[in-house]
Amino acid sequence: MVGGSVGYRQGFHHVDEAAGGYYGRNFRMSHAKKIFLWFLMFWMGSSLVLAEPFVQGGPIGSQTSDGYDALGPVVEQPIEFPHNRHAGDMKINCMYCHTYARRSNVSGIPRLDKCMGCHNLIEGVKDRPRIKKLFEYWENKQPIPWKKVHDLPDFVRFNHERHIQRFYFQEKRPIRETCGYCHGDVASMTTARRVKALSMGWCISCHQKDHLEKVGSSVTSHGPNDCWLCHK
Amino acid sequence: MSLSNLIQNWDSFRKRRPYEDQYKDAPYKWAMVIDLDSCIGCNACTVACYAENNLAVVGKERFGKGQAMHWIRIERYWGEGEALETEFPERGAQYLPMLCQQCEAAPCEPVCPVGATHHSPDGLNTQVYNRCVGSRYCSANCPYKVRYFNWWNYPERAWPNPLELQLNPDVTVRSKGVMEKCTFCMQRLRAGQDKAKTAGRLLADGEVLTACAQACPTSAITFGNLADKNSKVARMWKNQQVDLAKNAQDKSEEGVRGYRILEDLNTYPSIVYLERLRNFAA
Repeated sequence: MVGGSVGYRQGFHHVDEAAGGYYGRNFRMSHAKKIFLWFLMFWMGSSLVLAEPFVQGGPIGSQTSDGYDALGPVVEQPIEFPHNRHAGDMKINCMYCHTYARRSNVSGIPRLDKCMGCHNLIEGVKDRPRIKKLFEYWENKQPIPWKKVHDLPDFVRFNHERHIQRFYFQEKRPIRETCGYCHGDVASMTTARRVKALSMGWCISCHQKDHLEKVGSSVTSHGPNDCWLCHK
Repeated sequence: MSLSNLIQNWDSFRKRRPYEDQYKDAPYKWAMVIDLDSCIGCNACTVACYAENNLAVVGKERFGKGQAMHWIRIERYWGEGEALETEFPERGAQYLPMLCQQCEAAPCEPVCPVGATHHSPDGLNTQVYNRCVGSRYCSANCPYKVRYFNWWNYPERAWPNPLELQLNPDVTVRSKGVMEKCTFCMQRLRAGQDKAKTAGRLLADGEVLTACAQACPTSAITFGNLADKNSKVARMWKNQQVDLAKNAQDKSEEGVRGYRILEDLNTYPSIVYLERLRNFAA
């Protein structure tokens, strides 16, 4: 470091055209430096090739390589809703409660009377603390203030209908798989938590894949990539 | 833009827009016809646009500085011999609703340093707000001056509580430092397209209207799908002998009054204006 700066000063003061000129003197390097530089370039090049593939929304608890927390923050819900009981054990279709997913942009949070429609009739669990809380809301005529977990920025338009219509109704994939592409395996959670990155690159990574156009056909196409289909 | 995308859509990159039969196989190409003979300059389209697209009201002072955010504006012109020498010289103006012409060869697109504005497959000139860095090159290059820059952080004060409840949730509220422009009410188009796609069909003619076309009391604005040969807009374009890919129209026939603004700049706009007919003898 010191030697380099001295060399620079010398070059600066004694410009010798015959000995390679101003620049030739300045950038003359020792052998050690050259070797080091070669190693540096080799390391940089190999890190480009051997770099870990960019997996967005990687495994639960991990961080993506862009520092994105793959597992979203814990959202404290007013009632710790057990998705694992409803969707996991009871195998209730996601769209029984999130009823707008197949026909609108948003999937919708069910109204309280949807909960009560069943729970009024299920005597066995009425003494559980979570169900007691549910009845409290019902008797006070108050909606449950659920909090949003999968929140997208305002300039993004995500359409549930398109994805559900395509993968669930056309291709007859299981609902747990269809919703799970973006929401993870909610049926194994209590309150939902974001497990996928939901970033643009993550969306694109799926839209670039070749999907079969119809069930049984061999023609493939990828998802739309026009800016204005998602951005508004 | 990935390499596979480049190879697959080579035609649209290689050919210079617009080319012959560009939208022959496309499901949609949005276009408009504005009949200046019907326009009474009432500004209903402007008001509708403000309501639909979350446009900020900037106030008198900033309006005077040219910072108004009206995506569609009514321009007034007085032709030769039309200004009346009475105590009301403003009388007799011609009105011209000016909005983004959604040019096929848009001058704003190639100058964007970050690609925030590009041409969509359905023929719209897009503006992606979160991509925009506010260089304002597009506005400088736009011959129609229909791009509007957010000089101030309007969301802070344009809609004081409880006015924010009037905002359209389907449209972004733009923040300071981004360019914005008419989108042909893209949120309505997308909603209609989604509905139609689930039903397994294309949008019918007149199923989706822009806010300005919907609000126009004299039906001066006609909006529709130019790729559909039987749509009202396509028939009007044909009747007026205007072709999307030609910048010099054949005006030989009597009674043809369709034209596109500043056609000689080779911007190939998607909006046809019908000239106003005036009887000076009367």
